[in-house]
Amino acid sequence: MSRSYLFIPGNTPNMVQNLDIFESDAVIIDFEDSVMSYDKDAARILIQNFLQKFPLQEGTIYIRINDVENSHFEADILATRDLKIAGYVLPKASVEAIDKLNQLSSGLSIIPIIESPIALLESKQIATSKNVIGLLFGAEDYTKEMGIERTLEAKELLYPRSHIAVVCRAYNIEAIDTPYTAKDDDAGLQQDAMNAKALGFTAKALIHPNQVDTINRIFAPSPEEILQAKRILKKSEELQKGAFSLDGKMIDLPIIEKAKKVLEKAQKYGL
Amino acid sequence: MGQNNKTQKPLVNSIDELFAFIDIHENKNISFHHHLRNGDGVINYVLNKYLQEEIMDLNLFPSSIFPAYTKILELIENHQINDITTNYCNGGVAKYISQHGLPGTLTMQTHGGRARSIQEGISKIDIAFIAAPYVNIYGDAIGYDGKSSFGSMGYAIVDSEYAKITVLVTDHLVENQIENPEILGSNVDYILKVDSIGDNTGIVSGTTEVTKNPIGVKIAKNTSKLLFELGLIKNGFSFQSGAGGVSLRVTKDLRDIMIRQNIKASFFSGGITKYHVEMLEEGLVETLYDVQCFDLEAVHSLKRNKNHVPISASMYANPVDPMQVIKDLDIVILGATEIDLNFNVNVTTDSHQTIIGGSGGHSDTASEAKVSVIVSPLLKGRLSVIKDRVTTITTLGKNIDCLVTERGIAINPLRQDLINKLKDSNLKICTIQELSELAYQYTNKPKDIIKRERIIGEIEDRTHDIIDYLYQK
Amino acid sequence: MKFTAGSLESSDCLITIAPSEDLVINIESVVFEQFGDDILRVISETLKLHKITKLNVLCQDKGALDYTIKSRLETAIKRMGEQS
Repeated sequence: MSRSYLFIPGNTPNMVQNLDIFESDAVIIDFEDSVMSYDKDAARILIQNFLQKFPLQEGTIYIRINDVENSHFEADILATRDLKIAGYVLPKASVEAIDKLNQLSSGLSIIPIIESPIALLESKQIATSKNVIGLLFGAEDYTKEMGIERTLEAKELLYPRSHIAVVCRAYNIEAIDTPYTAKDDDAGLQQDAMNAKALGFTAKALIHPNQVDTINRIFAPSPEEILQAKRILKKSEELQKGAFSLDGKMIDLPIIEKAKKVLEKAQKYGL
Repeated sequence: MGQNNKTQKPLVNSIDELFAFIDIHENKNISFHHHLRNGDGVINYVLNKYLQEEIMDLNLFPSSIFPAYTKILELIENHQINDITTNYCNGGVAKYISQHGLPGTLTMQTHGGRARSIQEGISKIDIAFIAAPYVNIYGDAIGYDGKSSFGSMGYAIVDSEYAKITVLVTDHLVENQIENPEILGSNVDYILKVDSIGDNTGIVSGTTEVTKNPIGVKIAKNTSKLLFELGLIKNGFSFQSGAGGVSLRVTKDLRDIMIRQNIKASFFSGGITKYHVEMLEEGLVETLYDVQCFDLEAVHSLKRNKNHVPISASMYANPVDPMQVIKDLDIVILGATEIDLNFNVNVTTDSHQTIIGGSGGHSDTASEAKVSVIVSPLLKGRLSVIKDRVTTITTLGKNIDCLVTERGIAINPLRQDLINKLKDSNLKICTIQELSELAYQYTNKPKDIIKRERIIGEIEDRTHDIIDYLYQK
Repeated sequence: MKFTAGSLESSDCLITIAPSEDLVINIESVVFEQFGDDILRVISETLKLHKITKLNVLCQDKGALDYTIKSRLETAIKRMGEQS
């Protein structure tokens, strides 16, 4: 149910020990792209000691391990599977890679990254794999493999985004959008996040802590949505009927369920 | 019109020429202002003469000491200085005094306290050397015109009024009348014309940009939330912030709230930056009371905005001045190098007992403002900002109401009224002891390394009370 | 043959170890006076945990917390072990 997923470089003590300050709903401690290959052992040991010393963190912690082809894949999992984490973010995801991860990881949640054309085509199978709780769209690697330019306007991402959002909705898992990489561009970030939300994404990943507030605000239910949800549930309790009319619109069970989820989110985010 | 009684002032063209008229051996208490900050060209020029003439037993009264004032250090090393009385001290002079002390005493005052001491005759100044960017032949002066304009002359005005001898040092002398002069010719004795009084781009210190550091951003966000929840952001409120990156970010966040909620402030006071000017010109605040300009946009604004008003240090912060502007201050946002469990704040020394600053207006504004807020990261590297006892007390805890850090907010128990208002807040409010314990969970408790063997200076509050001492490192 | 781990970034430390006939620990820290004892303790305890009694250790500290000092030392030890 997290709205924001903040990447934290896993070998940078200054960021690691402050990971709970940024008020992101979830944090992804990164062992992959932000850690040099010769320091990946250092990152594992740093995070082991950090989470053992400070196990109680507000906010959900994931670790982006190295991909299944990488020599560090197994070591990453063995070093962290007994720590207090919610699960793993798996780059270059495939059904086989998820299998291998499940074999090693003792039932922790998995968020596969869809960052290639093949993964996009396989996203249904990936989404329904064991322990998968969401999909993260990785536009950087995706556009690289497609051989296309990534633009701020993001028309080239419309199809993969829509596809992922549909798959996630269909299988009732989280749809997490790709980070908006332009720094200090709050207007651009807002537009990008709203576009993602409009397509059905439930959350957005980010690398700049200053983006947390905007993303949390956009992916939270709005005050109007919350009010409406309260009204629907109130009337539902009063009438004790499965279907009724409110403001001239038909309210049935799916809509009542959605209203319940909205209030659950609002509670969780303190709105 | 009506200026017939103005007399032209004696004009000299070098410091040597000046001392043909004044006895350099008799007038040992000399003062300077620091408005050109690190771009000042007058202090070194004047003091070089004292260095060359080997004048001994000097007592200096600079309103602040910046790293560029190297001649002060040379005079100290030459054993020519007795006492120094100032409001802020940083750089080579500060390091030296921290290590060695002075033959006499280093007295650290506040901006308001300095004005008061001069007015009450406690600080007796023989010669006030006043760098002035725009002077006329009658000795009237303003700070916001001329090639070296630096803005408000706030710290120099009391000196001009009470010093035995007042010397204006200028690089821009005119013959015309000056409307509303900041320094009155009737208080001036000599005009010293030089090629340049300094570099006015030096008034921009490194900290006058809104912070982008995520921790600073969070602290600022929580501060503006706190102020809003305390009901302080409402039409007609008054506000002052320091020039640090976090304080400026708070100012920026407040601006957003004020625009959204259609709120107009009555005044901003203190050191003025382009951010304050912007808000004046957007109609978000009625008046700017300027005791010093922190950037050139503020200087230009003084010239063109009639509601941007230069004020003297006395009118700004002298506790016995009936016009004291900050007596009506609602909110002040301040920094700290350290704060202790009694909310005493240190901005004078670092944790290694090196002098790195001084009150400036810190203790003044904290004493007068209805709510004073300290903004600081809880952890700076491995050092917690919260100590059991600060290395040096700059501002007394009873005048500090809130501490906002990235990991929580502490309210002074003396302010039950504020604590009550925050009962249902979503903000993380804790006691300062709890915040301190939290910090130690990360860092462990540090060893107490403060030496208190030899006193090298005193911290004098605006009440004339000595509230702490400086000790040799 | 030296082995290192960590960095001189703020809140980190650079640990350099080398095989030695004795136990030699040198600490340079930006907070030496306040935390020098703590840093020594963490290094000693970590060596004890790994049953190391002879080693030359240099810790160049930029305000690292205990868990970081322990981690960087353990990483250097691991790298030394992989060499042999």
